[in-house]
Amino acid sequence: MKLISLFFLLILPWHFNANVEKGEEPIRFQLKNAGITVHGTISDWEYEIYWDAKKLANCKVTGTANPATINTGIKLRDKHLLGRQYFHTDQFPLISLQSKKIRAKGKNSYVGVFDLQIRDVIKEIEVPFTVVVVGQLQVFKAEFSLNRLDFGVGESSLVLSDEVKVMIELKK
Amino acid sequence: MKASVYFKLISLFGLALLCFSFVDTLPKNWSDIPRIWNKEALKNWELPNANPDYSVEPVREEFYYALPERIIYKTYPVYHPDYEPEGYWEWLHEQDAQIVFDASQLKTEKDWIKAGELLFDYPIDTLGAVIRTKHVRDKAFYTSSGMPLTPDGIMPFVHWVVAGKGKVYLGNLSCAMCHTRVMPNGSIIKGAQGNWSGDKAFAYALESDSASERVVQGITRSLFSSPWAEGDPHGKLLASGKDEILSAYKAVPEGAFGRQGTSILFPPQVPNLIGVKDRKYLDHGGLGQHRNSEDMMRYIAMNQSMDFLNFYGDYNPIGLTRERLYNGKPIFFPGTYDRYSDEQLLAITKYMYSLTPPENPNKPSVWSEKGQTIFAEQGCVTCHTPPLFTNNKLTPADGFEIPDEHYSKYSIFDVSVGTDPGYTLSTRRGTGYYKVPSLLGLWYRGPFLHDASLAKLEDLFDPARLRDDYVPTGFKPHNVKTKAVKGHEFGIELSKSEKDALIAYLLTL
Repeated sequence: MKLISLFFLLILPWHFNANVEKGEEPIRFQLKNAGITVHGTISDWEYEIYWDAKKLANCKVTGTANPATINTGIKLRDKHLLGRQYFHTDQFPLISLQSKKIRAKGKNSYVGVFDLQIRDVIKEIEVPFTVVVVGQLQVFKAEFSLNRLDFGVGESSLVLSDEVKVMIELKK
Repeated sequence: MKASVYFKLISLFGLALLCFSFVDTLPKNWSDIPRIWNKEALKNWELPNANPDYSVEPVREEFYYALPERIIYKTYPVYHPDYEPEGYWEWLHEQDAQIVFDASQLKTEKDWIKAGELLFDYPIDTLGAVIRTKHVRDKAFYTSSGMPLTPDGIMPFVHWVVAGKGKVYLGNLSCAMCHTRVMPNGSIIKGAQGNWSGDKAFAYALESDSASERVVQGITRSLFSSPWAEGDPHGKLLASGKDEILSAYKAVPEGAFGRQGTSILFPPQVPNLIGVKDRKYLDHGGLGQHRNSEDMMRYIAMNQSMDFLNFYGDYNPIGLTRERLYNGKPIFFPGTYDRYSDEQLLAITKYMYSLTPPENPNKPSVWSEKGQTIFAEQGCVTCHTPPLFTNNKLTPADGFEIPDEHYSKYSIFDVSVGTDPGYTLSTRRGTGYYKVPSLLGLWYRGPFLHDASLAKLEDLFDPARLRDDYVPTGFKPHNVKTKAVKGHEFGIELSKSEKDALIAYLLTL
């Protein structure tokens, strides 16, 4: 009986607080190409958050993004990025991020350990983020870097950087 | 980091990498010269045809090596009649034959390269495969074909071959025939995208010889037919009759050439051989892999007419059956009754690898530096990556589905830039791909795109070219008045000054 109660205690807040929501601001990313910074976005994405700053162990953040909505300002490049050598969206239509553990780092500042899946590669990454209350809303901002080659996105290149900087902002 | 600094670094790094690429694959000694025509090597060397049921079946090793080796005679320049020195023609007829290639005399690298240049210039046909003596000794030929000449009145694309006293033949089908460019100032760039007006010259020859419709159809079939191609465009051309076929030849501009296995309906831009040593694929469709010098030697042998003996399924361009090909009787078709020796092929390869561009008169400037930044911003570097200004990959044409196994076999950039798919889907040399071309040497080249449809770089950035009422400034098919030049739309939305800067940069490469 105790176990069942504990289960409900854990699961109920999640059910009541976490809804799938559409990302308002596109996910932004940037990387270097021939010394020039290329800015890109992924506009279609959604997330689900259970957040209680006082009980970080119970917090949960998940999200998925649709790489088919990538925009780097050059249409043909975007088309190429959907292909087999990059995101291969026919086979892997979603990028997913799932929190495993969140810890405080300072005031309004946190670090989450997430499983990030791009294509068929799942990799644990650390994502630093902030949570700031603005009016009625909590604003989450995350910025992190990843190596695209770790996820089989493209190949090693003389001109294109391996490192991609990703910026996510959401409100709850 | 500024784009210009980045480009310098990347060029240095890239050049360092290139030092480890093909250079060491050249045989150093006589005894190392490979036997290039062997079943194993030929098996995976060429890419399959876009329709793999019609992929190349080359002649067998025993057949190839049973062909006699080419004897290389001394050659002499061909002059426009108004420029020919007095008594030259008679003098030529008094000359004895001189055999000028003897591999046993080649001791140093310099010797090999020099011999290679001689072979590069040497015509493999004296039967009149394209034009004959009577044509080049007629002034009307030059007017009709618009043939470029040097300031001395020399037509550098063909040579007189003296095979004995009184035996003076016009020689066709040297490498130099297509890969020599006469610049506006009269200088010659060897190995460049040539500007021999070969198809116009051929049309003139057929007309002045009053060739019958059957003859015109027959030779055109041998050169270009690919009856398995969807819609059989060449079959339709043949059926359209002599006048239409001749119009198709005349429509091919200088800088493009309907080489055998390609097309006069989809003529390829003549490739620039300067820098070829660093390219992974040969032909616009990337038909021949270029993994080492042996591949280049094979390509030269194949391209210099051995492909007339290929089978594509059961189809042979000159109407042979396998029984006839291998029955031991000689085949008298230009370029197929003898062959280069492996030593000769090595010498040509060494020469081609040694080709360097002439000094570029377009020096970097503030303007071109701005263009360099635009080049990077527009993402051009992804495909046209310095220092070679190509990523050496193959891109699929619209309508071609990349087979799964190709991803591991070939170097593929799997997005189409939407240019005309005709060449690579409808010709014997078509693979379904186009190779990403190098932008090096743009200043001395043209017309542009694989089908030579645009005369100037400015035309590439002209949005009007995407409309159906556009008149292509380069190749325009004989049977249309207007035609959109689609695809590769990068930079087309830039402002005028940005385009000017970008072009200024491209001309410095």
